[in-house]
Amino acid sequence: MELLSNLGDGLAFVMGVIPILTITLGVAMGIVAGATPGLSPSMGVALLVPFTYAMSPTLALILLVAIYIAANYGGSITAVTINAPGTPSSVVTAFDGYPLTKKGKPGLALGVSLVASTVGGIIGTLILIFFSGPLANFALKFHPAEYFALAIFGLTTVASLGGKNWIKAFIAAMFGLLLNTIGIDPISGVSRFTFGLSFLYDGFALIPALIGLFALSEIFKQLEGGDFSTRAVDAGKQEWPTAKAYWKLKTTIMRSSFMGTIIGIFPGAGATIAAFISYDVAKRVSKTPEEFGHGSMEGVAAAEGANSSSVGGALIPLLTLGIPGSASTAVLIGALMIHDLTPGPQLFISNPDIIYGLLASLLLANVILLVLGFFGSRLWIKVTTIPKTVLFPLIFAVSIIGSFAVRNSFFDVAACLAFGVFGWLLRRYNYPVAPIILGMVLGNIAETNFIRANMMGGWTVFFTRPLSLGMLVVAAASFAVPFIQARKQKQ
Amino acid sequence: MTLKGLGLLLILLGLLIFTPKANAAFPDKPIKVVVYTGPGGLIDISARKFAGIASKYVDVNFVVENKPGAGGIVALKKVIQAPADGYNLYACTKSNIAKFVQVGGEGYLDALHWTAMLMADPECVITNRKLAIHEWPDIVENALAIPGDQTWVGPAAGGLDHVTALKIWDKYGIDAKWIPFKSGGKALAALLGEQGVAYVGNPRDALGNPDLFIAAVSAPERLEAFPEVPTFTELGMSGLENEFMWRGFALKQGTPHEVVEWYDDLFKKVTADEDWISFWSKGGLDVTYIAEPEFSKLVQEDAEVFEYYLKKSDILPGDAVGILAKMATGSQFIILSVILLLVWLSGSYGVYRSNYSDILGRFMIIGFFLVVSILFLVQSMNFPTSSAVGPAAVPRLWITMLIPLNILLMIKTFRKKDGVAESGPRVDIVLSFIGFLIVYLFVMQVFGYFLSTFAFIIVGLYYLGYRNWRNTIIIASSWILFSYVVFYKTLYVPLPLGMLFENLF
Repeated sequence: MELLSNLGDGLAFVMGVIPILTITLGVAMGIVAGATPGLSPSMGVALLVPFTYAMSPTLALILLVAIYIAANYGGSITAVTINAPGTPSSVVTAFDGYPLTKKGKPGLALGVSLVASTVGGIIGTLILIFFSGPLANFALKFHPAEYFALAIFGLTTVASLGGKNWIKAFIAAMFGLLLNTIGIDPISGVSRFTFGLSFLYDGFALIPALIGLFALSEIFKQLEGGDFSTRAVDAGKQEWPTAKAYWKLKTTIMRSSFMGTIIGIFPGAGATIAAFISYDVAKRVSKTPEEFGHGSMEGVAAAEGANSSSVGGALIPLLTLGIPGSASTAVLIGALMIHDLTPGPQLFISNPDIIYGLLASLLLANVILLVLGFFGSRLWIKVTTIPKTVLFPLIFAVSIIGSFAVRNSFFDVAACLAFGVFGWLLRRYNYPVAPIILGMVLGNIAETNFIRANMMGGWTVFFTRPLSLGMLVVAAASFAVPFIQARKQKQ
Repeated sequence: MTLKGLGLLLILLGLLIFTPKANAAFPDKPIKVVVYTGPGGLIDISARKFAGIASKYVDVNFVVENKPGAGGIVALKKVIQAPADGYNLYACTKSNIAKFVQVGGEGYLDALHWTAMLMADPECVITNRKLAIHEWPDIVENALAIPGDQTWVGPAAGGLDHVTALKIWDKYGIDAKWIPFKSGGKALAALLGEQGVAYVGNPRDALGNPDLFIAAVSAPERLEAFPEVPTFTELGMSGLENEFMWRGFALKQGTPHEVVEWYDDLFKKVTADEDWISFWSKGGLDVTYIAEPEFSKLVQEDAEVFEYYLKKSDILPGDAVGILAKMATGSQFIILSVILLLVWLSGSYGVYRSNYSDILGRFMIIGFFLVVSILFLVQSMNFPTSSAVGPAAVPRLWITMLIPLNILLMIKTFRKKDGVAESGPRVDIVLSFIGFLIVYLFVMQVFGYFLSTFAFIIVGLYYLGYRNWRNTIIIASSWILFSYVVFYKTLYVPLPLGMLFENLF
């Protein structure tokens, strides 16, 4: 097998001292970048690109990819400890991770998220190594109609996210979708709802909305409760998941990893949709769905397994076709070009050493992530032991600088604060805020592909393409099932 | 931490904030190179490479600052709102011109002194070798045979590539569809997935994938890097020999003459630099150097071409037709907003005064969603409606779902079928903190990030009842130090230093 021998060469290369140090450095930086609200994996990668000019292309790529992987995991740390998802995809991790922290068991959430991330990352990489060719060809055939169907499928998760408050959940999702239409219309180029204000041309950035709706609204809520003299957790006796607990999660992690990789392949879909859908599926098949949203370890595993494995998926179109599947991989293309390498199928022939070195380093980076994350978790958990009187002002400070850093703009800071107040008011009246984020993430994919499909094939195209029709039917079914179940229970 | 450590921290802090300034000729402080995209794109790389090479020739620190947003308008505003002293260099591309035209910024072109154009890449048409139709004459023949049905893919509508396509169609009398994608890469994926027959972009886009075929290039003669690709002229069409993307730098109009001369001298040196030339030629990019006044002339011509084609393809807004559409523009819209806001407030107040005060909050939120929906709906009347699914279609779809959902919820709320609100006793603390944050953001404009954040953390801790002063100071100082080292220095986040300090030093 040529593939295996190439991979062997790659592994032999990354087992050197310098590659291992590079990966370790990348993983450490990635965790910090991911855990800092306002720094996304793509920014972490982008900021490091200039530093890699002087490195050899393989080492440079290894470093950047290590950052990318680790940043995807890093986002879950702040999601679990302070309800401030560091990355959009870790919103889903916060659903159950933060309730676990509130129950005084952040260790359970941090442990599960690390292990699910690592396993997901490795599964994603293995799929990338062995099946990238056929999967890439499948991704190419994905018509805008199918992207639209995928986005609609993602939206149906709102039905089960909302539970009893489904009307409010849908209102929140629709509001997120509507917010997403502010700015210059990506299809026609017309500026919409900008009221002539130049800072609205790009609409609302996701990260300030994320920080405001989650982190700030949470603090406002706790401030309103008036109880902030206590510590959340006792540092002395922390509970970590047992080996048995991990083993019980094996199916959830495996399933979410496969789903994450597959959804990650489609350029533009990415980690966030993967996490939402995987969480939704996990909840539906779970024996204890009532625990979801109140601190379910399964929920954390489903979210993290999916968003970490999507990295492997996103790399498939990048390496095999030269097409970026996510914002971070778009930056990787820039980095490849700086090193005079043209991403695409030719790269496998012209520079197999680089490709297989990269693939091997992905595997190694996940292992190093596990090690660093293991020790790191013991450190992160201390955040939850800081007295709230100290923690709250600091979270405000992090939120302000984090939302400013996204685009270096004060508008984003003000937006973050407004989202914070708005999120607090919504949560007071039992509106879930996560659907707003889902709407903002999916809005663009849904709208642009809806219009593209229409331009290409008219209204009927959604129903004449078998794949699109199939996905829409599944979406409709998954939307209806919770209501049918609820009705049956009533009778 | 001991008191000594604390003192040291404070001294460091003082040094950070009060950096002395010397008086000397230009340049006597770092020059900001303002890039209109995030880090990592080609223009960002150009700016960083330029900064690296320029510092070989002049003893000045170039700081690349990313100001992404609105296709360059955000970065442009930063440059033209700063004084015309030459300390803000705008890294721009031809795509910016398209955007300026699109948002009606005639003034934008004149606000800049177009200093140097450093790179020009020809535009080309890329096709899919796997499709039977991939040679240029076949594409044209096919397009003419099925008017309105041939599909072209590419990046954003109204951008350079789209306008180039429009120009090509115009010349050949083709009527085809332009399906815009979020990025050139995604459009290429669609081309490979056989969802379209042609793509417009840079010849380098076709490298790396043997299925991509460059059908024709818009250059005066064949490109050195792609000798097998014919030009439009060779294919028998004149007027398409000079469609290209450029990258360059601009200063604010009114920059002193000696500063402009300093830059002219620098650009001459950088563009002649071995390192600069070899770096770009490796990537198959042509380096060039065009200064004022030729560059300005070129920009003006570009603007005229963009305006012509954008008007033609209905991207530039037309005149409002109909009462609702007229209402969506200008002062009438503001009046409508104010009326709706008053209705919302008085409605909420009425509910508050009645026996239903417990549902005040719910009513306000439902009302908020309804008011926003109505305002957006009215605004959407003003969008161009050239095609069946125009820019108004999808927002209206969300609005028409939002309104009935809210009405349904309102009915439920009045029937008291809604759950219990999760309110707490200390709304006053929340309101105080919102107040603190607003004051903090305003104070930051004057005193800068570092001082105002220091004060905010101390006030916040005190207000929540934390009384250990030594720790309070340590916490606030450590945060300042952290944000300085990590955000300001390492990540180049330009945290505001405040009007006071920027003008003082």
